[in-house]
Amino acid sequence: MVIVVEKRESVTVVSIDGSMDGTTARELVTSLREQVSGGSPRLVGNLAGVDYTSSAGLRALLETVKESRQHGGDLRLAAVRPEVLRVLELSGFTSILQVFDDVEAAVASFAA
Amino acid sequence: MAGDTSALTPGPLPKGEGGQRVAVVIGSGSVKCAAALGLLKVLDREGIAIDLVVGCSGGSIYAALIALGHSAAAAEEMTRRLWTREVTRRKHYPSLVRAVLPQIFGFTEQFGLVDDGLILERLRVALGDSHFENARIPLYLTATDFHTGEQHVFSQGSVLDAVRASIAIPYIFRPWKIDGHLYVDGFLSDPMPVGVAIKHGANVIVTMGFESPYQPRATSVLRFAFQLSSIMSNNLLRANYAFHNLAHHTEILPIIPQFRERIHLFDTDKIPYVIEEGERAAEQQLPYLRRLLAAVES
Repeated sequence: MVIVVEKRESVTVVSIDGSMDGTTARELVTSLREQVSGGSPRLVGNLAGVDYTSSAGLRALLETVKESRQHGGDLRLAAVRPEVLRVLELSGFTSILQVFDDVEAAVASFAA
Repeated sequence: MAGDTSALTPGPLPKGEGGQRVAVVIGSGSVKCAAALGLLKVLDREGIAIDLVVGCSGGSIYAALIALGHSAAAAEEMTRRLWTREVTRRKHYPSLVRAVLPQIFGFTEQFGLVDDGLILERLRVALGDSHFENARIPLYLTATDFHTGEQHVFSQGSVLDAVRASIAIPYIFRPWKIDGHLYVDGFLSDPMPVGVAIKHGANVIVTMGFESPYQPRATSVLRFAFQLSSIMSNNLLRANYAFHNLAHHTEILPIIPQFRERIHLFDTDKIPYVIEEGERAAEQQLPYLRRLLAAVES
């Protein structure tokens, strides 16, 4: 898994490349948590490069969204591939997480 | 067959420390459940052993065939002969008469619009006199208790009885009585019963399940009832799936075949295509499954 962090004013875009699963979830949670504890709880998860998520990936997202909201921020998702979106829908995540077509729209949503 | 067989039979003991227990869970989805045979092909080819199989509704047929040791090819052939439109062609007239004139004939809970004689006959050919105790892979099939609404897990006794209970599609097939309890389709309590695999010690769950299709228009009372049933079961599927994904540390790998064409309840001729898509979807997750099993073993 490759994780690239990019600051866009008050929003942090975390671009993830690879599979969100039991072998990568810990690394993902650690990276996202670092942003939240470092004072950047407004996160955009750019999932354009994510081709799969298992239950471990879902738990990593949930852990992060809870923590970011506790710190006054949020985790919003962008550019989710259809196969990953299907799992997010099936597991009810699209009812608790905001999902945007692209990173720009997700970043802009924090200003609204 | 015993009543609460799940409670009486704890299932095989978990493997030793560091060992993985791989479960295959096949949820509801009628003909689409044949995609599980594509998954079986991939697991077989890769030499990935299955430690337990769980099935529900249409998935119970495939779960049973896999656990009883049938090859994917044999199971495909059996189900092509089993699940054809003819199984619903003959109406169950006593049910119809009792529904229309309950004051005269008396309505009974064993209501189903279709005569189940043919499906029973075909299930008997496919499953014979198999018992859970003789399955090569531990097998768990689910149905729903008609009076309590609770999920019931069968793991002892006649496989045929359990499958018949698990596929008691509301309004279509009559609820099935076993040891004084009346059972209806397993999807009514959990359309994708990964919880059963978790309860029985699986730590890697490969699951395949399907949402019920919605109809663009409800043009009859039966279609209206089906639409309501689909709405409820799909929401139940999502709620249960979310719960099991988040409440446990078991790794759940959803295998979701993408069908380019709509698969109807009795599209038996599409079974080879359905299997192909199941195989394709399973192959896509194979690299991760290999990594996961290697990580657990190391």
